[in-house]
Amino acid sequence: MEFGARSDSGRVRGNNEDSFRLAPELGLFVLSDGMGGLQAGEVASKLAVDTIVAHCTQAAADPSLATFGKHIEGVSDTCNRLASAVRLANTEIYEHAKNQGNKATMGATVVVLCFVEDRVCIAHVGDSRAYLLRSGSFDQLTEDHSFVAEQVRRGMLTVEEASRSKMHNVLTRALGIDPQVDVDVTEELLMDGDVYVVCSDGLFRELTTAQITGVLEETDDPQRAASRLVDLANEAGGGDNITVIVLRNSPKSSRPFAKIGRWFKGPDDGKESE
Amino acid sequence: MSKLVLKFESSVLQEVAVGQKEVSVGRSPDNGIVIDNPAVSNYHARIFIEEGRLMLQDFGSLNGTFVNGQRVKMIMLKPGDSIAIGKHTLVVTDSVEVRARSLDYVEAKAAVPKINETVMLDTKDRREFLEKVAAVGESAQPAPGRLKIPTLVVRNGNTDRSEYALNDKLTVVGKSAMATVKLQGWFKPKAAAQINRKEDNTYYIGAADKTPSVNGEKITHPTKLASGDLIEVAGVELEFVVRD
Repeated sequence: MEFGARSDSGRVRGNNEDSFRLAPELGLFVLSDGMGGLQAGEVASKLAVDTIVAHCTQAAADPSLATFGKHIEGVSDTCNRLASAVRLANTEIYEHAKNQGNKATMGATVVVLCFVEDRVCIAHVGDSRAYLLRSGSFDQLTEDHSFVAEQVRRGMLTVEEASRSKMHNVLTRALGIDPQVDVDVTEELLMDGDVYVVCSDGLFRELTTAQITGVLEETDDPQRAASRLVDLANEAGGGDNITVIVLRNSPKSSRPFAKIGRWFKGPDDGKESE
Repeated sequence: MSKLVLKFESSVLQEVAVGQKEVSVGRSPDNGIVIDNPAVSNYHARIFIEEGRLMLQDFGSLNGTFVNGQRVKMIMLKPGDSIAIGKHTLVVTDSVEVRARSLDYVEAKAAVPKINETVMLDTKDRREFLEKVAAVGESAQPAPGRLKIPTLVVRNGNTDRSEYALNDKLTVVGKSAMATVKLQGWFKPKAAAQINRKEDNTYYIGAADKTPSVNGEKITHPTKLASGDLIEVAGVELEFVVRD
């Protein structure tokens, strides 16, 4: 797995309320977009990523570590671990805000990706996103917890109407707002050549998916891709903080048995030649 | 980003971006740009954006503020303007962009408060909205209790069991430790194929290391499964069955 990341305050905001943390030793990649005045957003997003990495680090050392909140059926243990970490982050931010005497309500979105064995596990709350570029198709893996997205899902708005809505910035779910939070988890089979993009809304509000895929296809280097995406979002206006993590499951590094496979298949066969 | 570049003679001392917040200039340490020189007043001048224009205002300083050699009280700044305060110079850079962006911001603000700022639906609105959404959702989706969980029945090939309930969001067919349908045999792939359960409880089969066939035809993209579909992949045959 190769990866790169960049975060920028954009061209309008004076501060950067996004946070991210990469913990490749755990296969863990976390991004959070904070909200709330007077630095509260920065504090919230940092609390989110730190709490999640800490919980997952502890769990890696001690797999019997208790999970926080109810078990979600139909997904792997890793997904449940991520949900547990996100719920803890919610509590941390909620408590922190309460201790500030409710002066500043703070909140944060979060997207967590964890690569384990044959799959990628994803947990998220809010409107930060994870995308997957696979064999030329670029799909959003997370569903926004926003007012507009919720209305589209329930057929109350068409996609066309939604694109004209002025309520894009209104969230229905975020960390730190209520004592408890519903965490969405999903998982995907990890495949050779997969490219994952994790980003805050500062990226996808400025760029079309065609622009994003264009960048991903023009370079193999995830760090260059992340930087280029941030630059493009800034050129398009940079109306909000922009944070991007790009992860590439390059064919050569992913398979311990790739060489053996090559002996059987011949050197120029299959995906190795990509 | 638009900047004010503070210079003393030819050396650059500081670069300060001008955003929504005004930048104050003076000798007192709480200014945005601090010029520690007796010729400079404690609060000498400020640079700010008004109606999308970059403005400078002198606070009635003793020694004055000069823009392009002219003493000024209040003036609109342009890119390339040179502001002299004492022996220091502030150069305005990139200010065309400052104007364009800040104008957007002001207009956006006028149209919808906080357009660029993420906000949370407040508690009362959120509760009402989620209730409404739940009501719509109920008519559109079957209740969880009535959902039928499909089964993969092994018709041919070596697997660890003869059938598998598709409880999971992701079901992997292969040799991987996390595979649900475990293939047995030396040369079986770690992940031969995958079956994804969507939010609306439909199931799609997709390729992994192998491309599966459904009812005798190789799939070209993730394909929705219907009861009775016969899947062939990596030497096994699996029937997708939805039982009543």
